[in-house]
Amino acid sequence: MTAHTPTSQSVENTEKRVFFGTDLYNKITETLYEEAMLLDELRLEEWAEFLATDLIYKAPLRLSVQRAEQYKSIVHSMNHFDEDYSSLMGRIARLTQTQSAWAEDPPSRTRHFVSNILVWETDKPNEFAVKSNGLLTRNRFEEDRMQVISYVRNDILREVDDKLKLAKREIVFDMAVLGTQNLSIFL
Amino acid sequence: MLESTPKSQKPQTKALPDGTTIDDLIDLDMREVQLRVMADKDIYDLEMEKIFSKTWILLGHESEIPNEADFMIRDMGTDQVIVTRGKGDEVNVLLNVCPHRGMRVCTAEAGNKRTHKCIYHGWAFKTNGDFIGSPVAKEEMHGNLRPKSELGLKKAKVELYGGLIFANFDTDGQTFEDYLGDMKWYYDMLFCRTDRGLEALGPPQRFIIDANWKTASEQAAADGYHTITLHQWLGDFAGFNEGDIEASMMGVEVTSKTGHAMRCQPVANKFKMLAAGFADGSLSIEEKLELLPPPGVTKEMLSQLKTHLDDDQLALLVDQPPQVGGMFPNILVAFIYAPQPDGTILGLTSLHTYTPRGPDKLEFTNWIFAEKDAPEELKNKIRKVTTGLLGTSGMIEQDDSDTWPHMTRNAKGPMGREFTLKYQAINSLPRPKDWAGPAEAYDGFTKDDTQWNWWLRWYELMTAE
Repeated sequence: MTAHTPTSQSVENTEKRVFFGTDLYNKITETLYEEAMLLDELRLEEWAEFLATDLIYKAPLRLSVQRAEQYKSIVHSMNHFDEDYSSLMGRIARLTQTQSAWAEDPPSRTRHFVSNILVWETDKPNEFAVKSNGLLTRNRFEEDRMQVISYVRNDILREVDDKLKLAKREIVFDMAVLGTQNLSIFL
Repeated sequence: MLESTPKSQKPQTKALPDGTTIDDLIDLDMREVQLRVMADKDIYDLEMEKIFSKTWILLGHESEIPNEADFMIRDMGTDQVIVTRGKGDEVNVLLNVCPHRGMRVCTAEAGNKRTHKCIYHGWAFKTNGDFIGSPVAKEEMHGNLRPKSELGLKKAKVELYGGLIFANFDTDGQTFEDYLGDMKWYYDMLFCRTDRGLEALGPPQRFIIDANWKTASEQAAADGYHTITLHQWLGDFAGFNEGDIEASMMGVEVTSKTGHAMRCQPVANKFKMLAAGFADGSLSIEEKLELLPPPGVTKEMLSQLKTHLDDDQLALLVDQPPQVGGMFPNILVAFIYAPQPDGTILGLTSLHTYTPRGPDKLEFTNWIFAEKDAPEELKNKIRKVTTGLLGTSGMIEQDDSDTWPHMTRNAKGPMGREFTLKYQAINSLPRPKDWAGPAEAYDGFTKDDTQWNWWLRWYELMTAE
């Protein structure tokens, strides 16, 4: 059993790496930046266009366990988000089409910071594994402090007709007990 | 309405440092509670002593620690405990405080350990909390002033109920039977109805809300009314109750002096397509069970219901099951029918605890359950749909968790804290005819009585000697 916190990719896998500075790397990076902008600007319908219709979108739980048992640190049997394309569309519609989605009305002011982007080719020629660090700052009402949530994202991006779409996302939080009142926002 | 002793006959109860008594905070005649209780540090400290050290606290489910020596860390009020599995059905709840110097004995949140050894000086304990010994035995580092039997981890009383783990540090206090009281008849329908019972589908979601534990807990004591406004989208958008949320406020609310409460909502009100057969008596219990099995129960399990429940329980479970409510002091019970896009109705089972983390902070802990015997595919569906509606990202509860911090904040202003929470929507209807269940039963539209009974239990414990 590995004592590492498992991730979907290994840095040793350089053979399939899409390195920093290449056209593809730049395109993927810009796509993630654009995604962050759409989310921060509450342009959820436009964000929806970035989502593939077979999307799986999950945020597993974390457990604070001993180093020797780090493989148990990410709990896949229970999630903070357990979504697919149609359920995410439901969430977006609730927020944008109803007048009573109070958790985001008034909306949170968020800033999605995306960094440490690493890209790998996969077995499918038009799909890429993308790992990125995320830092979300969130502020609501007249709160005098920011909520800060950090996480790593393991994504699969798929290129279709020259456009990249999100086909899979796993959001792995760094907090075992999440320091926010809800996840009525997206990551 | 439950009877409460008139104020004039009550001795003046323990005063807060500023001279306020508990009787000053709650007006038993007017059914009002000062908003101050939702943020006050002194009241909070008294609650930790008078409530969370005295009553039974839900810590989780035995299916979370299935193997011998499995353990998990949980909270009883502000005291942290280790929940361990011994041999067989033995479950221990131990204060996570080393008797030596007060260090946290167990630093991981979960795992499997036959010996819990404190990382500070190495004192070691069995899974039942007994002291094994300390390093450098020949030097007698634990001294000889106290026998080893006095150097173990502090143990709480433990009860397993439908696999749920409840614990209480008040070893001479209320029995678990008294804790459940006559509400047990209703909870048995939910937790003790199949041969193999429920299982937690994984560890609980845990997240923090900047709100007093009571803002969430008094709502769990069966506040149906808020659904119409705060969860308006359920009707407008999600098609719950076929768009008519107000109609689903009708039913029978059951409650007792325990402070527990459940809302029993007629299935015929919720799903109009079923209404005819359910309401007019043309369908047998068996036919109704086939049409709409209770949340999480498959058709294959239906025969088990009959061996675990009496006829009255079965009839109620079929026509008007207890669906949303709570258990005192800080538990929410949710057995929800969720209409699915494909026209089917999925039953969801979830429990929350709202653990105090300070006068203006609570931990929301959310377990999702399914019957152990449910097929894996159904469990996955239940897990997914429940996660979508309840808990951290739950589309229903994200609106609740954004409400409670405002109440807590309002409880801090010099004007706001003197304001009162009002529970004056009083049910005036007679007990429903032929109601077979025990406890108080309030008929008709959801009112404030169950929540007021929750506050009466709070009052009783806060003023107890």
